[in-house]
Amino acid sequence: MFNIQKLANKNLFNLCIIIFLVSSCSSMNVTEETVYDGGIRTVKAAIKEQASLDYKTKAIFTNATVYFEFDKFNLNSKSLQTLKSAVAAMKDNSAIKITISGHADERGTREYNLALGQRRAESVRDYFAINGINENRIMVKSYGEERPISVGSNEASYSKNRRAEIK
Amino acid sequence: MKKYILTILLISQPIFSELVLEITKGSDNPYSIALINFDGSKTKAYEVMNVIKNDLDRTGEFRILGNKQLLSTPLNEDDLNYSDFKILGIDYIVMGSLKDEDRSNISAVYKIFSVQKESQLRTSTVYGVPKKLKQLAHYISDGIYEEITGLKGVASTRLLYVTEEFSGGLSEFKLNVSDADGSNEQILLKSYEPIISPSWSPNSKQVAYVSFETGMAKVFIQNIATGRREIVLENKFQISSPSWSPNGKFMSLTLYQDGNAEIYILNLKNKNLTRLTNHYSIDTESSWSPNGSKIMFTSGRSGSPQLYELNLKKFNAKPQRMTFEGNYNAKGSYLPNNEGIVFVHRNNNKFQIALKYFNENFIRPLTNSQLDESPSISANGNVIIYAISENETGLLAGVTLSGARFRLPMIKGEVREPSWSGFLR
Repeated sequence: MFNIQKLANKNLFNLCIIIFLVSSCSSMNVTEETVYDGGIRTVKAAIKEQASLDYKTKAIFTNATVYFEFDKFNLNSKSLQTLKSAVAAMKDNSAIKITISGHADERGTREYNLALGQRRAESVRDYFAINGINENRIMVKSYGEERPISVGSNEASYSKNRRAEIK
Repeated sequence: MKKYILTILLISQPIFSELVLEITKGSDNPYSIALINFDGSKTKAYEVMNVIKNDLDRTGEFRILGNKQLLSTPLNEDDLNYSDFKILGIDYIVMGSLKDEDRSNISAVYKIFSVQKESQLRTSTVYGVPKKLKQLAHYISDGIYEEITGLKGVASTRLLYVTEEFSGGLSEFKLNVSDADGSNEQILLKSYEPIISPSWSPNSKQVAYVSFETGMAKVFIQNIATGRREIVLENKFQISSPSWSPNGKFMSLTLYQDGNAEIYILNLKNKNLTRLTNHYSIDTESSWSPNGSKIMFTSGRSGSPQLYELNLKKFNAKPQRMTFEGNYNAKGSYLPNNEGIVFVHRNNNKFQIALKYFNENFIRPLTNSQLDESPSISANGNVIIYAISENETGLLAGVTLSGARFRLPMIKGEVREPSWSGFLR
């Protein structure tokens, strides 16, 4: 006696699993299947058009990098010192627009670090705003832990990578 | 702790030459299987046997005996003398044969016998092509696994992961797919800007990921067969952390349009957005419960990253905190049977993969190296693949819930963020 049961016919290619359950005194599974052969296509990402998104610096006076503690995004006194001249440069020339990118070290999860990098960049933006710079002149983004300055699983590298870059 | 390393050299595949299985602790009571060399072309049978053995070893649930360890090696049921196997404590016998039909067709027939019942449990035929002999072998592995354990196997599933290769002062990022054992690598996307957070659609035909190719994080969906891709939502802010709902109709995302990372649900058809979180601290890394009724996410609202859960079925529900041990618990995902969660946990400055069952009030660390991250659970819920960092390069490793650990073979470049497909077979 054969009891034929069609279990699955999942995809358009050629997968079909048909299981014939042989109901005799000792039940034995009889199966037949074909290996699924799904193709894969490779795509190349276009080279980004940076200009369309990032504000281009018109003066190098605003180029600066500030550093942070692990899982923190507050500015320390050294950072404030660093940012003073950038603020002054932006006040002197209202045509200057900047992009602040926040970064994290490799510890912790990538998405949390992306969000943390964003908070760091925003801390810097807030400092500019408090000091009278219009936020429209500032673009903020994060690279999380994806663009380290220093490669290495040690505090010397980590401390260089927890940063916000102003360009 | 018992520790043994099996190094299996595979012939005829120079790129994928070495698979190191480092099994620290498998099941306490593994099934013993006699895996008799398949009949047929010797080199092909050898390759198929190696793949099956590796696939079963990675589950941590089997003790496998080959021809050399057996008293007799029958090729069909007529020559089978059960007492030769009983005396060795073997539970199951697997035998089979390969048939080269012609240059474009190959098939395998395999049979599984129970020593205890002294009867045949299964006879199965798998049809394939000679170029994809390993895939044919994965199907056999899954048939053996499901016959013996009653659970579906994941040897025939795929992995999605990101690699970064540094050359000529430039980093090249690639999004790749491979078989579950790390072989048969194929490239989905190449870019000179970072790619992060890849994940499969529930039907495993599409992938979602974050690409920085436009100059900032944006979420893309790509069809793996056609290569067609699209930005999931157009606006001028960062978008990240995609997670598909179990029915494939929605995607949870982290949007930065509110000046802070907040979680939204996007209806993929009409692009309607529903905001889920509203807090000044970081909310990200959302993932769906198996039936789609809850969303878990990482939040910094307590002062350090912790996992929270939001009930989508309850009106005005507040996020409930799920983790309390340690000051870093992040990137959680639910077990497919909804009995617990797997996440990244910091313990004494080490980042480890940990498991928490809902009916227990403690967490179970599953790994113990320095920088383990990005856990992804197999479709059958038995294995977790994750990224490790060793000698300042990234590799993929796996751990089973029974405690067996393995490493996937070295793939060129730094490897990270594995994501496990659903069942494909």
